[in-house]
Amino acid sequence: MAPVLQATGITKRFPGVLANDHVNFTLERGEIHALLGENGAGKSTLMNILYGLYDPDEGEIQVDGKAIRLSGPHDAIDHGIGMVHQHFMLVPPLTVTENIMLGQESLVGRTRALGGLAVLDRRVAAARIQDLSQQYGLQVDANAYIKDLPVGAQQRVEIVKALYRQADILILDEPTAVLTPQEADELFVIMRSMVKQGKSIIFITHKLREVFAVADRISVMRAGQMVGSVKPAEATRELLALMMVGRKVILQVDKVAANPGEPVLRLEDLCVLDDRRHMAVDGVSLEARAGEILGIAGVQGNGQTELVEALTGLRKVEEGRVLLLGEDTTHARPREIIEAGVAHVPEDRHKHGLVLSFPIRDNFVLCTYYRSPFADGIELDYPQMADEAERLVRLFDVRTPSIETSAGSLSGGNQQKVIVARELSRSVKLLIANQPTRGLDVGSIEFIHRRIVDARDKGSAVLLVSAELDEIMSLSDRIAVMYKGRILATLDAQEATREQLGLLMAGVTSSEPERVVDPRQGAEDPRKGSEEGAHV
Amino acid sequence: MSSAVSTPHGRPRRRSQAGRSPSGATTKAGGSAQAGRPGDRQGASWLRRLASPLAMPALALATAFLIGAVIIWITSGSLTTVFEAYSGLVRGAFIKQRGFSETLVATIPYVFLALGVSVGFKAGLFNIGVEGQFYIGAISAAWVGQLTHGLPAIIHVPLAVAAGAVGGAIWAAIPGYLKARTGAHEVINTIMMNYIAFRLTEYLISWPLKDKLATAVQTQRVSPNAELWTLYGMRERLQNPLDALLVALVLGLSAWFLVHLWMRRRTSDEAGLSFFRRRSSIPWIAALAVALVSFFLLPLLARAWWPFGDPYGRLHVGLFMSVMAAFVVWWLLWQTTIGFEMRTVGANPGAARYAGVRISRNIVLAMAISGALAGIAGTVEVLGVSICRCLPLFFSSGYGFESIAIALLGKNNPLGILASAFLFGALRNGADLMELNSGVSKYVITIIQALVLLFVAAPSIVRWVYRMKPPAGAEQEAPLTRGWGG
Repeated sequence: MAPVLQATGITKRFPGVLANDHVNFTLERGEIHALLGENGAGKSTLMNILYGLYDPDEGEIQVDGKAIRLSGPHDAIDHGIGMVHQHFMLVPPLTVTENIMLGQESLVGRTRALGGLAVLDRRVAAARIQDLSQQYGLQVDANAYIKDLPVGAQQRVEIVKALYRQADILILDEPTAVLTPQEADELFVIMRSMVKQGKSIIFITHKLREVFAVADRISVMRAGQMVGSVKPAEATRELLALMMVGRKVILQVDKVAANPGEPVLRLEDLCVLDDRRHMAVDGVSLEARAGEILGIAGVQGNGQTELVEALTGLRKVEEGRVLLLGEDTTHARPREIIEAGVAHVPEDRHKHGLVLSFPIRDNFVLCTYYRSPFADGIELDYPQMADEAERLVRLFDVRTPSIETSAGSLSGGNQQKVIVARELSRSVKLLIANQPTRGLDVGSIEFIHRRIVDARDKGSAVLLVSAELDEIMSLSDRIAVMYKGRILATLDAQEATREQLGLLMAGVTSSEPERVVDPRQGAEDPRKGSEEGAHV
Repeated sequence: MSSAVSTPHGRPRRRSQAGRSPSGATTKAGGSAQAGRPGDRQGASWLRRLASPLAMPALALATAFLIGAVIIWITSGSLTTVFEAYSGLVRGAFIKQRGFSETLVATIPYVFLALGVSVGFKAGLFNIGVEGQFYIGAISAAWVGQLTHGLPAIIHVPLAVAAGAVGGAIWAAIPGYLKARTGAHEVINTIMMNYIAFRLTEYLISWPLKDKLATAVQTQRVSPNAELWTLYGMRERLQNPLDALLVALVLGLSAWFLVHLWMRRRTSDEAGLSFFRRRSSIPWIAALAVALVSFFLLPLLARAWWPFGDPYGRLHVGLFMSVMAAFVVWWLLWQTTIGFEMRTVGANPGAARYAGVRISRNIVLAMAISGALAGIAGTVEVLGVSICRCLPLFFSSGYGFESIAIALLGKNNPLGILASAFLFGALRNGADLMELNSGVSKYVITIIQALVLLFVAAPSIVRWVYRMKPPAGAEQEAPLTRGWGG
């Protein structure tokens, strides 16, 4: 039998880049085929070609043995190819049914006049949605409003949307990026049930743990080329990492035991509001000491962003105190906090970390441009700035054609290296790293982790905020779990287990054992928080 | 572009995920797709680096004139009219008596105004109120200029120019402050401030500052010592030692500035020059030398030989002021921490806040500088061009609104602005002879200007017409405005 989807010799060039270089990819009926690769390896380009968003320069796509041409996503949908994007394509103020109908509305009472004006028939659609939801165990409430649903449920709506359009082939683009480990496991159950009923799934990820959990076959891309396909049984984490990066990767960050010193940062009952004036940080007390990494674990949108913004002077503190080396910096300006020795690797490198249109030379001095040696009076000293930029480019191995290259034209990993280099180039008492490796490739992650541990070993306190449990667990010396603006527990990293942290991230504390019974309930609980995650 | 890109291993070094949306091909894909070997950099010759930013405006211009020709052809029904019109335009702008100097006269206010607009754009602000700031600058200068007749030019001219600058600065700082404090959008508020400025100046001209002896409604004539000299008149002026001193001072300061910049641009590790770098006295010596030479020799030179012999020529020293202003704006935006902050705020306010830059202060400052330049434009028109050397009731212009187009055409770059201001000056000045010559209405010029602006603002049209490829690098132009939410 012909494979359900076969792409042969796919080539796609962008100006200056060969994004896909004669890529072959086969999807058998009823399999979960994981596509693994670093950022920029060409996974997304390949999927966008299969979904009709890009036109390949060369190559052929076959569905059920027949060659097809896709001139847009609607063609892909007609051929039974559905895609769940990493960033959901949902309209928050509409209901699940309305969102799913969008573009394929079922109508009643169609008139001839006014271009076929008709009334939406929500009932028929809702009934079909409930059927699909039951058939695959998706648990989607057709009448709920998207804005009230947690991220995990929104993702299931996206899946139903694809199924509603009779997709046989589902492309899931990094579906676990926004989920807790428990939610991810639930998703895997759903994926299994779908393939059992004849669907085929392409599962894109860069997390090695997940491919072993769910995939039937694993293909790895690197530098626009297909490196190879393996069965999970034949693969090891080390082998896959080698295939992804092209060289040996140290997966475990090796670090000596922490040697905690004086407290650098003390938070006392900190309360911070989010943009909608809801309590985002609700009475947080913490202490970070010199020479240790304090990890803050939690699903995105549980107040971590606001906490970091409050610490760095970017957001007003409502109540409580921030003490930095004994000085009260609760209401200090960002610049005062920077000058007190705080380095900040921001969560959103495009929004806060870099000025994309500026050359990287200018981005390296973004926080220090006004100080000697980069400024002489009010005049900028470009030669000095260039020297510093050259030094940091070498030291942090930033791959760039020149220091004059605009930050926006670097890859994500190199952009992040620019930020980390800049922040660690000052004398740092406290490093606040918020999602420092999000969306980066394995090589860059390894490098940035190394630098964070180095900063710790040089005596800085490090506050590491991350939604990636692996990152938290491999780097931190102590782990605080944040849920709905509160710190539920602070654990010693040596003793904490993945399961324990996962439950805490879902808001389940041991004092409420009844909630452990139904993990789904726990997972769906972070309502307010997850909503925010969806806006990212 | 051949900027492309493979590592020695023959594999793309930096691959692109290339935007997630298909339509993002020009912006997003271009943004992440980048390039290459360090060696490529040297390969691109300076000529190409110069040519590529000029290609788009040049094509936009050519296309605009081509379409303008078609419009003239269609409306007049004859091809010869097209030639008559365009030859009239060229002769009017450059060839006829005083054509070229009048083009320069029209260029001067354009330069100041467009520089003002560009400073706003660089800080992410759309100062659409330069016309109003122009008026406030004009009335301020007119007021200070006629206050007294006793001051020598060396004091009165700088004072009157400063008054115009301050007037414009305050007028623009108000919407800047409103934006910084309340988030009120500057586009709305500067437009409102325009109307207030128009009516306010009309009131001031008609009553408090009205010249009671004149038949026309206008302010009193400014002191001859507050006038900006015409280039013809400068010859006589230079014979007055105090006026010669003013010239010497201005030239001396310019010399200081140029030498200072030249010394700073040397790299620190050039051993020989590090000697110069440490001597802060050198620019002062140069300044003193230039000032002394010009103080003693220029009057003699002027008596012996003077290139501007036309007593009716209106070209005035504002020409030099405008070039100096372009230079100062370049220095401010790209060579100082002030400019760095303003550009950071304009390019990414989030990153600016993160870096500890005070956004409010920079918004007010950028608006004030923008308004000051617009105010100086009004000043030079009153002190240098206005026939009565005063502010009449019906003054100007449309200069202000056209200058927004000039700033865009010049890509917010001072050098580009000098060039595009000159172009607009030529069009403005040549229009009359075009009408006279061919019977084609001079308002055809505004159609051409509009087309130029359209093509500059939407380069993809030009690219489509000429089958050009989208640029390989991201199109990193100043973000013009950032939506209406502020």
